[in-house]
Amino acid sequence: MTAEAGRLEQRPAAEAPNEGHEGSAEIRTGAHPVAGGTDTTILGVLLFIASEAMFFAGLFAAYFTLRTKATTWPPGDIHLDLPLAAALTVVLVSSSFTMEGAVRAIQAGDRRRMVRWLSVTLGLGLLFLAGQLYDYATLDFSFSSGVYGAAFFTMTGFHGAHVAGGVVAMFAMLGRASQGQFTARHHAAVVGVSAYWHFVDLIWVALFSTLYLLR
Amino acid sequence: MGFRWPGRRDRVAAGLPRIDPATLPAAAPAPGGRPSRLVAVVPLAALLLAGCSTMYPASGGTTQGQSVRSLYDIILVPAIVIFVLVEGLLIWNVVRYRGRRDHLPPQTHGNNVLEITWTILPFFITLGVFALSMQTLGKVDAKSANPAVVVDVTGRQWFWDFAYPDLGVKVSGAGAEPKIELPVGQTVRVRLHSDNVIHSFYVPGFLFKRDDIPGLDNQFDLDITTPGTYGGQCAEFCGFGHADMRFTIVAVSQADFQAWIAQQKAAASATPTPGPSLAPNAKTLEVSASTPTSFEQSSLDAPAGQPFAIHFTNKEAGVPHDVAIKDAGGQVIFKSKIVSGPADDTETAPALPAGSYTFFCMVHPNMQGTLTVH
Amino acid sequence: MATTTLVPARVGYRSSIYEWLTTTDHKKIGALYLTSSLIFFLLGGLQALGIRSQLAFPDQALVDHGTYNEYFTIHGTTMIFLFAMPILSGLANYIVPLQLGAADMAFPRINALGFWLVPMGGLMIYSSYFFGGAAVGWTGYVPLSDGNFGPGTGQGVDLWIVGLIVLGASSILGAVNFLATIFKLRAPGLTMWRLPIFVWTVLVTQTLALFAIPVFTTALALLFIDRNFTHGAFLNPAVGGNAVLWQHMFWFFGHPEVYIMILPAMGVISEVVPVFSRKPLFGYKAFIGATIAIGLLAFGVWAHHMFATGAVYLPFFSLLTGLIGVPTGIKFFNWLATMWRGQLNLATPMLFAIGFLALFLIGGLDGALLAAVPFDYDVTDTYWVVAHLHYVLFGGTAMGVFAGIYYWFPKMSGRLLDERLGRLHWLLLMIGVNLAFFPQHLLGLDGMPRRISTYPASSGWGPLNLASTIGAFTIAAGVAVFFVNILVSLRSGEPAGDDPWDGTTLEWATTSPPPPYNFESVPPVRSERPLFDLKHRPAVAALAPVPAAPADGEAGA
Ligand code: HEA
Ligand code: HEA
Ligand code: CUA
Ligand SMILES: [Cu+2]
Repeated sequence: MTAEAGRLEQRPAAEAPNEGHEGSAEIRTGAHPVAGGTDTTILGVLLFIASEAMFFAGLFAAYFTLRTKATTWPPGDIHLDLPLAAALTVVLVSSSFTMEGAVRAIQAGDRRRMVRWLSVTLGLGLLFLAGQLYDYATLDFSFSSGVYGAAFFTMTGFHGAHVAGGVVAMFAMLGRASQGQFTARHHAAVVGVSAYWHFVDLIWVALFSTLYLLR
Repeated sequence: MGFRWPGRRDRVAAGLPRIDPATLPAAAPAPGGRPSRLVAVVPLAALLLAGCSTMYPASGGTTQGQSVRSLYDIILVPAIVIFVLVEGLLIWNVVRYRGRRDHLPPQTHGNNVLEITWTILPFFITLGVFALSMQTLGKVDAKSANPAVVVDVTGRQWFWDFAYPDLGVKVSGAGAEPKIELPVGQTVRVRLHSDNVIHSFYVPGFLFKRDDIPGLDNQFDLDITTPGTYGGQCAEFCGFGHADMRFTIVAVSQADFQAWIAQQKAAASATPTPGPSLAPNAKTLEVSASTPTSFEQSSLDAPAGQPFAIHFTNKEAGVPHDVAIKDAGGQVIFKSKIVSGPADDTETAPALPAGSYTFFCMVHPNMQGTLTVH
Repeated sequence: MATTTLVPARVGYRSSIYEWLTTTDHKKIGALYLTSSLIFFLLGGLQALGIRSQLAFPDQALVDHGTYNEYFTIHGTTMIFLFAMPILSGLANYIVPLQLGAADMAFPRINALGFWLVPMGGLMIYSSYFFGGAAVGWTGYVPLSDGNFGPGTGQGVDLWIVGLIVLGASSILGAVNFLATIFKLRAPGLTMWRLPIFVWTVLVTQTLALFAIPVFTTALALLFIDRNFTHGAFLNPAVGGNAVLWQHMFWFFGHPEVYIMILPAMGVISEVVPVFSRKPLFGYKAFIGATIAIGLLAFGVWAHHMFATGAVYLPFFSLLTGLIGVPTGIKFFNWLATMWRGQLNLATPMLFAIGFLALFLIGGLDGALLAAVPFDYDVTDTYWVVAHLHYVLFGGTAMGVFAGIYYWFPKMSGRLLDERLGRLHWLLLMIGVNLAFFPQHLLGLDGMPRRISTYPASSGWGPLNLASTIGAFTIAAGVAVFFVNILVSLRSGEPAGDDPWDGTTLEWATTSPPPPYNFESVPPVRSERPLFDLKHRPAVAALAPVPAAPADGEAGA
């Protein structure tokens, strides 16, 4: 969804307007009749993030409902790996800063520096995913061990899937950058991916606080 | 069998002619006629319907039900007034202002006084209705500190079980539609329970229902004022047999209620007699199921011309099954009660003439086998 | 091929199946949405006829319990997710960019993806019929839907769940797209306070969708996980889950959902009533305020579907539910004031708008009564609720959709729909809807529960049910006339011209059908009725921006 802005001009020839309609180029390409404000792509990403936020809000609401109804929470036989999770939190939070570095770089027109920061961010994202898989493999409870296991794996699982989505998006950005796209003026997609990444990061902080600190 | 649904049948009878399909088209001009008149007639017909006196529920066999009915009687009035006002204005507009003229009509864009008026008035009507309904709610949801009779009601798939824990009486709906008695003039506490899915305990004659949710044992009180027979039915969709979860409550005097309790106890202590016509050496067919797709037997044999027993074992936890028999023409001749596994049940099937029959599960009609009678 | 029914008649670009499959043109996507929704409307309607046939007489067994339960589940699911929502998206897809003076939606390819998810989801939902069926009601209450609780709760339910998740994804993508389009692609001069009301209602609707649908997705995901991996841990109390949790999540989505289905229909009515009364919409700003108020209240009333659970805080939800009648009333009185002293042109779009007003009012008042908790205790889960929901959804949404189709079909196809067939269609619907659904109030008051596949003769419900069934077949006849009208008029309808109704908004400023990028030039926008200015107030049109307040005519009605 990040690649749509300005695509009206790039339509296949079959759909290009015929002669008679050339007169209204400004309207036809139509990207910005409304002057100023947020870029359309970025606005789209922000709106999408709002819907994602509601998705996770639903998960958190379910979690707290189940938690209040339970007598002991988490059940006695559940052991969490707090040090590992704390380390992963550090990884993901720092990746937000490296992502910001990438955005600053392209705003300044430095595509190579952007690629470098973005690669670091991507690496941190992969590290997080690896750590999460390791966590899954070593925990002494599973998806199907009762209410707590279901809630834990569902929430961290959906979050992990979103991290994976962010990683894929970063790969796509790197690919486009290697084709020479993105300049100081045109880099809405990068900003969009960074917004999404910050969001995913924020969700993790909320998850970490809920599952590990509040318990 | 005919339980009485208080005050209803007369209304149905009285109300029907008014919505007789014949009257509507008759009142409306033929299609393609002047649209203006069509426009006027249809809301008018709706108005007639709404105004008719069948728009009322039962008068309420409990004090709680009576207060719901009184509330309804009051709040229906503003609803009808608003209905008549709005449909009236609509019809007036259509009749009065139809047709195009040479000059544009005045281009009125709005009027703040009007806007405020039609915001404030409905606001206060709504507040009034809300206040009244909360007052009624207090009465309907009030619970007595020491109810005279306690009834435990358990929703199953798909029948109701009733129990009077303090009186040691149980009435199960497993075999036949259950019928229980309750005393008039005493507070009855109903305690709901379910181990499977959500049901809803509904007695239209009491104008009341309450959901029976697993994990949430709802309770409420009934103060029955009017003796009579009240039909009831499960009101929350609970799966295949939802439509079959009917029951009957007979409200009687306290003396009659005590007599009924005593009689139930006596009946329970007498050993239940099995099917009367079963010969001592009658054959027992073993039928069992452990999946929802087939029985464990694909064919059975039974002797012709004499009743036989069916011992059905449902091995599948939480899943309901039964055994039914239909003849070659598809006519169902026998059905056992539905058992939720793991459980078993023995029943007597009637004497059958020789021939080939199908036994199947009413719940899962794909579960079939052949029954040969010879 | 059905998808080609709405091919614009005289356009400069060729149409082939391939074109339709790959198009990103909002008008073609709009036409695809309309076509697929109407097909699903027929399917949902056929199941409704099955329901009504089974209930026509007491103690009938045309279909068994299991089949009946699948019918109403898939009927409700189809009508809501495959008819009402997508057909409104279809109208909006076609019309919103035109009314904005834009060339297309903000994200044309996402728009195409959003559409194609609809038939995909629909296919999954319908395939449930071949996998044991989905018989859990459109509300899918747990624990019934959460495990094997008898027929119609097996694999078919998994397909139903995944189908709904796919449709939800489609709606979320649509919401992002519509909002970005409305915020970013407005023609010069088209400020928020000059937007056509239809666009405003789409704006509020899509905001509701953006916030409500993801929560439904969460609920469905939990249900799916429960059924397949965690054995009820979330939603089945027998295993430690919580059965009421599903209801909260479902209705947190489900109530805004009903306004998602009515607000755009109200938007259509607010376009049609002024144009066919030759007056501006009375109280334009009040109307927008009322729409926003409904949108906000929509998130605070969900538990009115759960009054009888004994598990919600009643006064709060009851009061807010009742209060929704206030902004809705504002709309009603503004529509009536718009017609007041107008010059009503009773062409088919206006007839359907009037039908909307007459019928939706009944459903709305039903709802206002339901907000009174003790009364809801009596009639919840009875036919009273079925009556309410059909008066608002058929009398409201469907009548609004028909008004919109009669109004904009000429723009889409270049041809007018036949007026005589249109009037017959309208008349059959007006009779049919009242006959089918009014008696259901009385059945509800009499204690007939919904979702029962049969009832004993001793209940006395037979005659009213028969009336309702006759009404349903009357509706079906009306719908058949409508389809005939569409097919006939596409081929040989009267040419419409660019502006057959003397319209006031931008879509009437381009050709019928519009060229690929919609406008050769967009007229100046100085008020919420740019075309009216152009035609009747050339001085204003030429002027610098004027305030939207009344410049002429008398105030008051
Ligand atoms: C288009 C869809 C739509 C719309 C617009 C509405 C509108 C409303 N609905 Fe409805 N509703 C449904 C679709 C809709 N509903 C569906 C599908 C269900 C059943 C779901 C299921 O269980 O399957 C349902 C169920 C439902 C219930 C639960 C019933 C139950 O199961 O127990 C309730 C309870 O409060 C309710 C209330 C309302 C109210 C108060 C409004 C209000 O918005 C109505 C406001 C309108 C008016 C009031 C009329 C105009 C106003 C005036 C002229 C001003 C003056 C009026 C007053 C002062 C009152 N609805
Ligand atoms: C937009 C929503 C919508 C619409 C339009 C309808 C339309 C109709 N509905 Fe439905 N209905 C619901 C939404 C809707 N419904 C919902 C949400 C439920 C609750 C489900 C649940 O409980 O889970 C419900 C439930 C419901 C029930 C209750 C079932 C029960 O509780 O047991 C009934 C019963 O009468 C019913 C009837 C009808 C009828 C007769 C129509 C008619 O208007 C249908 C009109 C008929 C057709 C459209 C047929 C098409 C025409 C032809 C076949 C003619 C052939 C022509 C050609 C081929 C060209 N509906
Ligand atoms: Cu039990 Cu419905
Ligand atoms: Cu609601």
